[in-house]
Amino acid sequence: MSHKPVYDRTHHAKLATGIGDPQCFKGMAGKPKFKEGDRVRIKDLPDLFYTRTMTYTRGAVGTIVRLVYESPAAEDEAFGNEDHPEWFYSIVFTQKELWPEYSDSFSNDTVETEIPERYLEQA
Amino acid sequence: MSSSTREEVLRHLNTVGLLQPALHQQTHAPAPTEIDHTLYRAYTRTPHDVGGEPDVPIVYHEKEEEIWELNTFATCECLAWRGVWTAEERRRKQNVDVGQTVYLGMPYYGRWLMTAARILVDKQYVTLTELHNKIVELKERAKSGKGLGEYLPAKTK
Repeated sequence: MSHKPVYDRTHHAKLATGIGDPQCFKGMAGKPKFKEGDRVRIKDLPDLFYTRTMTYTRGAVGTIVRLVYESPAAEDEAFGNEDHPEWFYSIVFTQKELWPEYSDSFSNDTVETEIPERYLEQA
Repeated sequence: MSSSTREEVLRHLNTVGLLQPALHQQTHAPAPTEIDHTLYRAYTRTPHDVGGEPDVPIVYHEKEEEIWELNTFATCECLAWRGVWTAEERRRKQNVDVGQTVYLGMPYYGRWLMTAARILVDKQYVTLTELHNKIVELKERAKSGKGLGEYLPAKTK
C-alpha cells in the first residue's frame, strides 16, 4: 500500500490538452480592470521566491497597448497553482522612464512587456 | 607590431583589471541586526532571465547546439506535454531553485537537464534512490565499454 500524497499531477495537461495554454484559461479572469490606452503604475509587490515582473518596471508608469491573455500569474503557476487566472496587459514604457541616465538623444526609445493585473494601479 | 607584443599588451591590460581595488566587506554570518531592508531584499532576490541588472561585459559566443542539448530540450518538452510541469514551474526550478552561483555558472542546457531529473524526483515519479541506482548502473556500463545505448546523430536542420 502506497502512502504517497494524493495529488493529480496531470491536472494541467487535462486542462490544456487540445486547447493550448494560455487559451485554456480564456474567460476565467472576469472583467478586466484596465483598458487599452490606460496609464498605469507598476506596484512594487513582494518578490519573495518567484516573480517575473521585472524589477526595473516597478514604480514606473507605462501605457497599456493591449490586453493579451488570461492566465495564472507566474507567482502561482510556478508552483502548479492555476485556480486564479487574471488578465495580462502589454505595457509600453519609455526607456527614459525606466533608466534615468538614458540618453536624451534617444528619448523616443520604448520597451514593451507583459505584466499581470495584480501589479497595476491607475497612474 | 609583432603579435607577441599584442599578447603582452593585452595580457597586461587584463592583469591590471584584476588588480583594481575592490570593496572588501565581510558577508558571512552577519548578526540579524545587520540585515536591513535593503540587504534583506538583495539576499532574497531570485535569479531570473528578465534582465535589467548591471554586470561586467562578457564575450558573446556563437555556439551550435549539441545532440545532448537538443535531446534535453525534447525531454523537457515531453514532460510538459505529459503534464508533469508547466514552463513556469520549469523556469522556477532551473533559474531560482538552483541558486545564483549555479544559475550563472552551469551551462544553459546543463540546468535544463538537471531540472528535468529534479522535477521527476520532487513530484515522486521516481525516487532519488532509483535515480542514484540508475546513475551507478550507467557509470558501470560506460566503464565496461558497452556504451550507453543507441545514440542517434542529429538530423540536418
